[in-house]
Amino acid sequence: MDLQLLGLSFITVFLAEIGDKSQLAAIALGGSSKYPRAVFLGSTVALVLASFLGVIAGGGVAQFLPEKILKAIAAIGFAIMALRLVWCSESE
Amino acid sequence: METANLKSIPSEEKFQDTANKVIRHGEPSSPSLTVQPSQSHKTLELQSSLKWSFWTVFSSTFITIFFAEMGDKTQLVTLLMSAESQSPGIVFLGAAMALISTSLLGVIIGYWLSKKLSPKTLDLTVAILLLFITGWLMSDVIC
Repeated sequence: MDLQLLGLSFITVFLAEIGDKSQLAAIALGGSSKYPRAVFLGSTVALVLASFLGVIAGGGVAQFLPEKILKAIAAIGFAIMALRLVWCSESE
Repeated sequence: METANLKSIPSEEKFQDTANKVIRHGEPSSPSLTVQPSQSHKTLELQSSLKWSFWTVFSSTFITIFFAEMGDKTQLVTLLMSAESQSPGIVFLGAAMALISTSLLGVIIGYWLSKKLSPKTLDLTVAILLLFITGWLMSDVIC
């Protein structure tokens, strides 16, 4: 087992991911949700699956998955969650 | 007991509201402890709607973060590193551990913040943060 490679990939991804969109999303969703555990599970599975697909598919991943459309869908999803939070607490 | 649960579906929203209030002040994993014993029927309905809600939280988190991460720099870093090295398995293992720790850190920070802020301030802060992420993602899409 190449521990140096393991450490290198850990540190690289860790530094790339600190303060990134998905960590901010984990902070936001984990704070607002009644189920921080569900948020943790959901984001972990999503992130690991995304990087797994990256390793498996290599460069071909961009060809069969329209990245911009997926990101736009995610953006809409976050916007809906934000609006729902404001909306629901106002009408309460 | 099961049929009682099924019948409660139309009023689920109402119980969801009650559940929100109970949870906000109590332990997230054991809402039934805060309910009086005389309300045991309600407790069952509460639990059924809570169970549904756990998976809603899970799936909405999963879908948004998965879609946001596709083609993002983390995925590209993993992709490049595994392509360069002879052992993609180790790269994936390191990346997976890093991703688990960052999301655990994020959720812990969020949970800690939720204890510090009042519910109203928290909702507003989270909404602004989510809209910020939306803007960030949209700038990725447009540029």
